[in-house]
Amino acid sequence: MALIILRNIRKVYKTGNLEVAALINLTLNIEQGEFVAIIGQSGSGKTTLLDILGCLSHPTSGEYWLDGDNVHLLPDSQLTTIRNKKIGFIFQTFHLLPRKTALENVQLPMMYARASRAIQHDRASELLTMVGLKDRLYHYNNQLSGGQQQRVAIARALANRPALLLADEPTGNLDSQSGNDILTVFEQLHQQGQTIIIITHDPLIAQRAERCITLLDGKIMSDEMAHPSSATKG
Amino acid sequence: MLLAIIHDAFKNLSGNLLRSGLTMLGVIIGVASVIAMIAIVEGGQVSLVNSIERLGTNLLFVWKKRLTVEERRLYAGRWTKLKYADALAIRQKFPELTVAPVDYFDGQIKAGKRDFSGRIYGTSPEYSEMRNFFPAKGRFITTVDIQEWQRSVVLGSTIAEVLFGIESPIGKEVKIFLHGRNKKRDNSTKKNGNSTKEGKKEQPRVGEYRFVVVGVMETKGESQGKDWDEMIFIPSTTMIRYFLGTDRIGNLVIHVPDRNRMDEFSKKLNQFLVQRHDGVDDLRIHNQGEFLKTVEQTLWTFRIVLGGIAFVALLVGGVGIMNIMLVTVTERTREIGLRMAIGARRQDILLQFLIESTTISIIGGGLGIILGIVSAYGFGNLVAQALPGGGDWGAVIEPPAILIAFTFAVGVGILFGLFPAIKASKLDPAEALRYQ
Ligand SMILES: Nc1ncnc2c1ncn2[C@@H]1O[C@H](COP(=O)(O)OP(=O)(O)O)[C@@H](O)[C@H]1O
Ligand SMILES: [Mg+2]
Repeated sequence: MALIILRNIRKVYKTGNLEVAALINLTLNIEQGEFVAIIGQSGSGKTTLLDILGCLSHPTSGEYWLDGDNVHLLPDSQLTTIRNKKIGFIFQTFHLLPRKTALENVQLPMMYARASRAIQHDRASELLTMVGLKDRLYHYNNQLSGGQQQRVAIARALANRPALLLADEPTGNLDSQSGNDILTVFEQLHQQGQTIIIITHDPLIAQRAERCITLLDGKIMSDEMAHPSSATKG
Repeated sequence: MLLAIIHDAFKNLSGNLLRSGLTMLGVIIGVASVIAMIAIVEGGQVSLVNSIERLGTNLLFVWKKRLTVEERRLYAGRWTKLKYADALAIRQKFPELTVAPVDYFDGQIKAGKRDFSGRIYGTSPEYSEMRNFFPAKGRFITTVDIQEWQRSVVLGSTIAEVLFGIESPIGKEVKIFLHGRNKKRDNSTKKNGNSTKEGKKEQPRVGEYRFVVVGVMETKGESQGKDWDEMIFIPSTTMIRYFLGTDRIGNLVIHVPDRNRMDEFSKKLNQFLVQRHDGVDDLRIHNQGEFLKTVEQTLWTFRIVLGGIAFVALLVGGVGIMNIMLVTVTERTREIGLRMAIGARRQDILLQFLIESTTISIIGGGLGIILGIVSAYGFGNLVAQALPGGGDWGAVIEPPAILIAFTFAVGVGILFGLFPAIKASKLDPAEALRYQ
């Protein structure tokens, strides 16, 4: 069974009398271990899809299975647990908490999972070492560059060994060098078997993924595997 | 987890010290005012009740009444006011009561070259026990003094020191002299056979008589606007005979053995005296027990008014907390969204903000206790310096008052923090994440 199964997903936003259909009958499977890019113009429904995939909001209709769980039937409180255990989020604006060190930021999902302090500390330093921030454990956000902050965010997303890594424009706020470094981290994670979905409007970034899904006006316009040459390149 | 949340709360509060401090100030002032108000009222209660009880309890005072114009017309000169004979009549009619007549005049007392001008009181042996005021040396006025118009005098401790220094005054001779109206009084004493017999030749001055010091009173200090140590006592009868020349007296102090029968005797005495005075109601009976009741009622009024003010101050502090917590929640909407995205449950968010507001109120409450105690004692000292005889109005700080104020402050922190915290926990994670 696929890691992600979306069946006839619709999402309609109501603002006053106005109804906007952000996703229209979207059907999609993503397998365990895939590295998928979702691209599309602004307003095509990328963020809406990320919210649904990330269990941040319910679809208006349709079915969603994540790792065998019937997400569209689960109450709010269980979605929280799923987000905590199965999903790692990476945002364009990093979303690190102020007045916290890199280590504390990475510990946060483990704290909400009620892990012991020792485990939190060990796992967080291990992850920060892995993303190349071994000597930045006790730095605060304002003492880190954008690329470093995003790497802290990646470490945080990996804290509870999620089944799915969801990134929304992860390089949007970075210069091309740092952005490239971040993508390299994603590629390494992918090679270790991590399922990754990157949402972006940049076709060049999408090229580095295995599979590229293009949205247009809330529908899938194309869904194609990248050329094997581009996947192995670099 | 809880520890981490508390740690976070401290970090967030110290991250914005000025704001947290100002928010706390509301709670600090609220708690401090509750504690100070309670302490001051309790202090006043202790001081007032003490000073009333020090004067003797279970007492009735009989005074002549100031008559209105109508009453004067009605009684057409028949009023007699209070007479020494009234005291004797009451003793006879109500043997269970102890009665002391009291009157005074302003005079001078001399011992050799030293003298003192003050108030000289005429009373009976009963006075000492009734007012809870005893001689330290020698004795008080006795029945023999009264019966034989003895010229015995008992001195207040200050007077004894002024006149005799460290020497013992007991058995020494002093001269007492009535200020002002001496001529008139002298005339009246002349009519009295007794004074011509032993008085005239010994008097170097008109209206001056030799007395023998028989006792010195204990030191009692000041209370109710008079200095007990400056009192001078002579027998009532002696005073009437030598100085007043009339048996009208200022007032009677009456001790009722049973506190519960104060009202009963007050009524009976009034009836008895009106009857004795030919139906003229020209006396007033003052009930010390009622006085105590009135004082306590007044204090309750103070408690309610001051307590109300303090309560409002604390509520205002709570509103301050709510206000700042609402701002905080709005400012940190994206943080809330992120926390929810990575696995914070709604109750985790609720707890986080509730702990933050409670931390403000706990710290504010703690500082408020300190400020309250300091200002209560400060006020106590101020009163002690400002009022003569207010020296014993110390602030009384009772642990329950502190506990109540503190609990209340924390309660206010929780109560007023609840709404912002609920608001935070109800946010939609997807919307909160992208809040601009
Ligand atoms: N909270 C919302 N309320 C109303 N309309 C929304 C909301 N979020 C998104 N939309 C609309 O849904 C459509 C898809 O938006 P979005 O998913 O943000 O697209 P993208 O991320 O690809 O730019 C847009 O037309 C947008 O205006
Ligand atoms: Mg978007």
